[in-house]
Amino acid sequence: MARYGMALDYKNCINCKACESACKEENGILLGADKHRIWVGVKEVEGEFPLLSIASSGFVPSQCQHCDDAPCQEVCPTNATYYDENGVVRVNVEQCILCTYCMNACPYDARYVDDRTMTVDKCNFCSDTRLSRGEVTTACQNTCPTKVRTFGDLDDPDSEISILLRARDHYTLKSHLGTKPKLYYLT
Amino acid sequence: MSMKEFVTSIPVNKVGLKDLLGFEKSPANIFLAFLTISLLGMFATGVAIYLMDGHHAYNVTREHPWGLLLAAYIFFVVSSTGLCIIGSLGDVFGFKDYELISKRAIFGSIVTIVSGFAVIIFEIGHPITMVVYNVLTPGLTSAIWWMGTLYGLYLTFMIIEFVFLLKGNMKLARYFGLPGLAIGLAAHSNLGAVFGFLNARPISNGVYFPMYFILTAFITGVFIAFIFMGFRYKLKFPQSVKTMLTSLGKIQLFLLLFLAFFMTWKFLTDIYGGVPDRADVAIHILSSWTFWAEVILVIALPLFVLLKDIGRSHVAIFYTSLSGMIGIAFMRYNLIHDTQLKPLQMLKTSEYQLAPTWIHYVPSMTEWMISLGGIGLCMALYYLGTKLFNLDADTYHPA
Repeated sequence: MARYGMALDYKNCINCKACESACKEENGILLGADKHRIWVGVKEVEGEFPLLSIASSGFVPSQCQHCDDAPCQEVCPTNATYYDENGVVRVNVEQCILCTYCMNACPYDARYVDDRTMTVDKCNFCSDTRLSRGEVTTACQNTCPTKVRTFGDLDDPDSEISILLRARDHYTLKSHLGTKPKLYYLT
Repeated sequence: MSMKEFVTSIPVNKVGLKDLLGFEKSPANIFLAFLTISLLGMFATGVAIYLMDGHHAYNVTREHPWGLLLAAYIFFVVSSTGLCIIGSLGDVFGFKDYELISKRAIFGSIVTIVSGFAVIIFEIGHPITMVVYNVLTPGLTSAIWWMGTLYGLYLTFMIIEFVFLLKGNMKLARYFGLPGLAIGLAAHSNLGAVFGFLNARPISNGVYFPMYFILTAFITGVFIAFIFMGFRYKLKFPQSVKTMLTSLGKIQLFLLLFLAFFMTWKFLTDIYGGVPDRADVAIHILSSWTFWAEVILVIALPLFVLLKDIGRSHVAIFYTSLSGMIGIAFMRYNLIHDTQLKPLQMLKTSEYQLAPTWIHYVPSMTEWMISLGGIGLCMALYYLGTKLFNLDADTYHPA
C-alpha cells in the first residue's frame, strides 16, 4: 500500500505536450478530448510592448489533483468514485450513473465524460495501465523530456518525491478549499 | 381486509375514451387540449432523439454539465413539494379552510413529481444503474443520494396518503401525510444542498439554497393552488373557495416579501462581502435578463396584485399565478446556469490557459422538447386524475 502523489517542477515545462500525447496513447483517450484528462496551462505574457513582463510567461501542467479529501468522491451518489488502496481517486465505470455531480463539484475541472463508456472519467495515475503492469511511473512522467514530473509514494520517506518535497518549497492549487491535493508544484 | 379488497374499495371512476374527450368544447378547453397533445408529442420526439443520439443531443458541455433538463426536474419537484405543503395544511394540520383543496393538491404533488422523474431519467446517463447502485453502494455523503432516495420514499407516502384521502379515512391520511411532508421537506432541502455543498462554486455554496428551496416551494404551491382552483371553478369561485383563496393570498403576500428580503440580502452579501468568484458572479447575474424575468414574474407582479387589496382579487391573482409559474421556470433555469457561470479553470487565472470569460449555454431543441414535454405530461396526468378521482373535498358541495 502506498500513498501516491506527484511533484511538478513546472518551471521546467516547455509546453511540448508530450505528456498529453503519452496519456492519450497509454489510456486510450479519444481524439478530441483535449485538455480533459491532463493539460498544460499557458500563462500569457503580461504588459504592453515594450514593457512586457517575461517573468509572467510560463507553462503550468495540471490534471486531477488526487485530493485526500476529494469533493468529487463526497458527492458521488453511488460511490462510483472511490479511493483505491494507494490513495488514488478512481472511477468504477460499472457504478457511474453519469449524473455529472462530480464534474460540478471538482474545483480543478479535472473530470470529463468519456465517450467510450459514457461515464465520467479522470486521470488515475495510470493505475489501470502502467501501475497494473507493475511499472512505477506514469505515462506523463515517463515521457517528459525536461523531467517536470516526479511520481511516487508520499508515505515512503526514501522515495524520490518525498526527498524532493523535503528539499524544495512547494504549493498546492486552491489549498484554501481544504481538499488536500496530492499534486505539488515546486517553486 | 385483504389487499385485493383494499385496492378494489378505492373509489375510482370508470373512464373511457368518450369521457376523456367529453369536455366542454369551449375555445379555451380546445386550446388546452391541443397544447397538451402538442407538448406530449414534443416529449415523445425529444425522447426518441435522445434514445438515438444519447447525451450528444443535449448542449451540455464539460464546463456546463447541468442543463435545462435538470432545471425542469427541479421545477417539477419544487411544485410537488409546494403542493404537498398546501395539501397538508388541511389534512395534516387540520386547518378547515384548506381541506377543500387537500385531495387535489396531494394528487397534484404526485403528478408533478412523476413528471419530474420522467424528465430526469433522460438527464441521468444510466438510470437503471442508478436504481441498482443507489441501494448496493449508497453514497451517504452525497446530497443527490439523499435527495433521490427521500423523494422516492416521499412519492410512496404521497400515494398512500392520497388513497386514504380518496377513501375518506382522514385519520390514516394524516398518519401518512405528516411523515410524507417531513420526508418531502427533507428531500427538497437536500436538493438545495446539492448546490449548497459545492465548495467549487462560491456563488451557490452555503446554507442559502436549502432554505430558499423550501420557501420557493411554498410559493410555488400557492401559485398552483390558485391555478387549480381557477380551472376547477372557471374563475367563478364559491364563497368557501374565496375564503380559502383570500387566506392563501395573504400567506403568499408574506412569503413573497420574505423571498424579496432573502434575495436582497443574498445579493448584498454576495456583492459587498467581496468573496472572490462570488461577488463578480453576482454582479454578472444582475445583468442577465432571465434574472429580471424571474424577479418581475415571481415577485413584482404578484406582489403588486396582492398588495392592492390584500389577496382578495382572486381572478387577478390567478393570472399572476400563471405568469408566476413561468417566472418559477426562469428561477430554476437561473439557479442551474448561474451556479456554472464561472469557469473553474479561471479561479486561478494566472495558472490556467482559459481566457477570463463566462460559460455560455443554450439548451438544444431536444432539451426544450423533453422539458416542455414534461409540462404536457403533467397536464395530461392531472386531467386524467380529474376524471378518475373525485378531487373535491367529500364534505364539500359547491353551490
